[in-house]
Amino acid sequence: MKKHLLGFSLVTPVMVIMLVAIGLPLINSVWISFQDQRVIGGESEFVGFETYVRILLDSSFWSALGRSGTWVVVNLIVQTLLAFSAALLLQSKGWWAKSARVWVMLPWVIPTISVTIIWQWMLNSNYGVIHWALGEVGIDLGSPFSDPGVALFSIILVNSWHWFPLATVVIYGALATVPEETLEAARIDGANNRQTFFAVTLPLINPILFALGLVGSLWSFNVLDSIYLITEGGPVEATTTVPVYIYNTAFGAFRSSEAAAASVLTVLVLVTVAMLMVRFARPKEDS
Amino acid sequence: MKFKRGKSLAVLIAGVVGLSACAAGGSTETAETDDTAQAEINESLTIWHMENTPQRVAAWGAIADEYNSTGPEYPVEFQVQEWDSIYASIAAAAQSGTQPDVLFAIPDFATYVRNLGLGYPVTETVDSLDSAHGLYPASMAAYTEDGDVWAVPLYGMVQVLWYNTQMLEAAGVEAPATWSELLAAAETLTVDGVSGIALPAGKNLASDQVAYSLMLTGGAGNWFTEDGQANFNTAEVVDAIDFYNDLLQFSPADSGNYAWGEPQAALNNGSAAMAIEKGQYLPPWVAESGLEPGDLGCAPIPVKDNGGEAGSIYYSNAAMVLSDDESRRAGASEFFTWLMEPANYSSFLHAEPGLFLPVTGNDAHIEEWRTNETIATYPECVDLMLELSTVGGLFGFVDGQYISRIGDISGQNILAQVIQRAYIEGEAAESAVAWGQQEMEDALR
Repeated sequence: MKKHLLGFSLVTPVMVIMLVAIGLPLINSVWISFQDQRVIGGESEFVGFETYVRILLDSSFWSALGRSGTWVVVNLIVQTLLAFSAALLLQSKGWWAKSARVWVMLPWVIPTISVTIIWQWMLNSNYGVIHWALGEVGIDLGSPFSDPGVALFSIILVNSWHWFPLATVVIYGALATVPEETLEAARIDGANNRQTFFAVTLPLINPILFALGLVGSLWSFNVLDSIYLITEGGPVEATTTVPVYIYNTAFGAFRSSEAAAASVLTVLVLVTVAMLMVRFARPKEDS
Repeated sequence: MKFKRGKSLAVLIAGVVGLSACAAGGSTETAETDDTAQAEINESLTIWHMENTPQRVAAWGAIADEYNSTGPEYPVEFQVQEWDSIYASIAAAAQSGTQPDVLFAIPDFATYVRNLGLGYPVTETVDSLDSAHGLYPASMAAYTEDGDVWAVPLYGMVQVLWYNTQMLEAAGVEAPATWSELLAAAETLTVDGVSGIALPAGKNLASDQVAYSLMLTGGAGNWFTEDGQANFNTAEVVDAIDFYNDLLQFSPADSGNYAWGEPQAALNNGSAAMAIEKGQYLPPWVAESGLEPGDLGCAPIPVKDNGGEAGSIYYSNAAMVLSDDESRRAGASEFFTWLMEPANYSSFLHAEPGLFLPVTGNDAHIEEWRTNETIATYPECVDLMLELSTVGGLFGFVDGQYISRIGDISGQNILAQVIQRAYIEGEAAESAVAWGQQEMEDALR
């Protein structure tokens, strides 16, 4: 115990800060979720699980949960494809690949507010450059952010464009950890590029991909800014994911307790999903 | 090895102790400086506003400097906030007791702030300013409940119909005065690549505002019963939603995601012939459209053919006093009195010429205000906005109402959602309005 004293003393400040900055608000949220508070900080009474029942009976909450599922899965697929493609290209030897290691990061560096404005401008039907360019070749882009059928997917593309560089860097780093002699051995054994990638490279970087997928999914689930800045959850709730639902409930409808209850339920869903992923999707140690 | 580890530990501890001592030694002097600085900060009146464009921030910063140079007991300091986050910020400030001394507000937001338990009546100050300058009744009405006034009116905003005169002349269309004329004009002016009108239909306040102007001229401005219950599901509201939906058919295809900026950009770049908005359209017109000032036309909000009356949404922007300290509240009152002096008031309004309208009929105010180049360039439109200021209204505050929970409705953009259901989902106006009625009842429960 004595030999760990220094370690504990160094960790304690961080633990205290985390307890105050995360633990207390979390406990407060749970407490508020059992009240009937409307405006944050307003008067309220203890109502038990009444607020939870109201949320669970609200079809908008379940619709938002479904949209969040779509949001996470499609973001994961699109970003993984983009990031893998970019990372493999970055491994090339040319000068452009070296320079691309810098500029491929640009979308990630741009603040979210700028990203959303840029894309809204580019896709605007009056003065959007993409809208105009596609129109010149006879393609009518329509209304990507105001058509309920495509609005969510349009924002997913914007969000993926914004965040794929981060995944690119991680995957690029993971690919760099694959020993050259292992790849060489596979080639000597007659494996082509595709076989080498799927039989050697992918299993070796699987643990990193799993961690990236897990953290990225949780991160992606909680995205509020991109969606809110572009559509505020519209049109007709077509882009209302769970974070937007919670935000609108708290700061649009001013129902703090319902927002807190929805948050608690969401945490439970996320923890369950994360545990299932760890239990069933975690790569084997010997892989 | 053991010795080395012990020695390293000793060096580490000595280092930490040494650094702590340095920090402590430094902090004594710093603490004194901080106390002085804190005292200075405490003496200043903190004013939160949400007008965050650079020219507005700069102009009001200059106003603060000007006032502070007069040596008041309480200097003022403007701090910029965001409309998108102010609801959360002020709630957090209320919880922690760190609210600003003064908070700029619009009527529905003011009800929200009051529901947080913040704010003091400023009836005496407002009465005094009214006696001295003649405040427009509409500017005070939305902040008055049971004889108490809860904010000091500072500037107004009102909407008009803006149009490109060249386009209307080329199409042989007169400025529309009625709903049927507006619809016919929008249809006639819609040609290849040009929309007859650009309207917002996103889930946002911009859509609420433009639609509400037309609701007012369609006799659908009052959404509540006398006892404050939701009364949204009326024939007049259904007509107004139907009409707005009809107009949207001649608005750009992506109007369903439009807010304030897009219709203005469409009008200025020639891809739309008309738009309904406030006076912020004046300053950039020439630079962005490449046309002359005379090519920007303006007209009152068209009126419903049967049963309509003149009107427009009117926002009285005002300052709430939140300080719990009586002497600081007196300091705020002193600042407002200084601010409403003609020379100071015109500088204050010139932060956004055309958008910020005077809330008084004081000739000296108007005269000083008109010295601004933008205001002087568009005298007819300015006169029109001043005229509409006297007949304007706002949801929750028409016909002498004061709906203390209107913020719960406007915060959810229920009107914009009703519009979206009709425009985007193709739902019948009757059904969309019935949904809106239910939402409003839920909001008020």
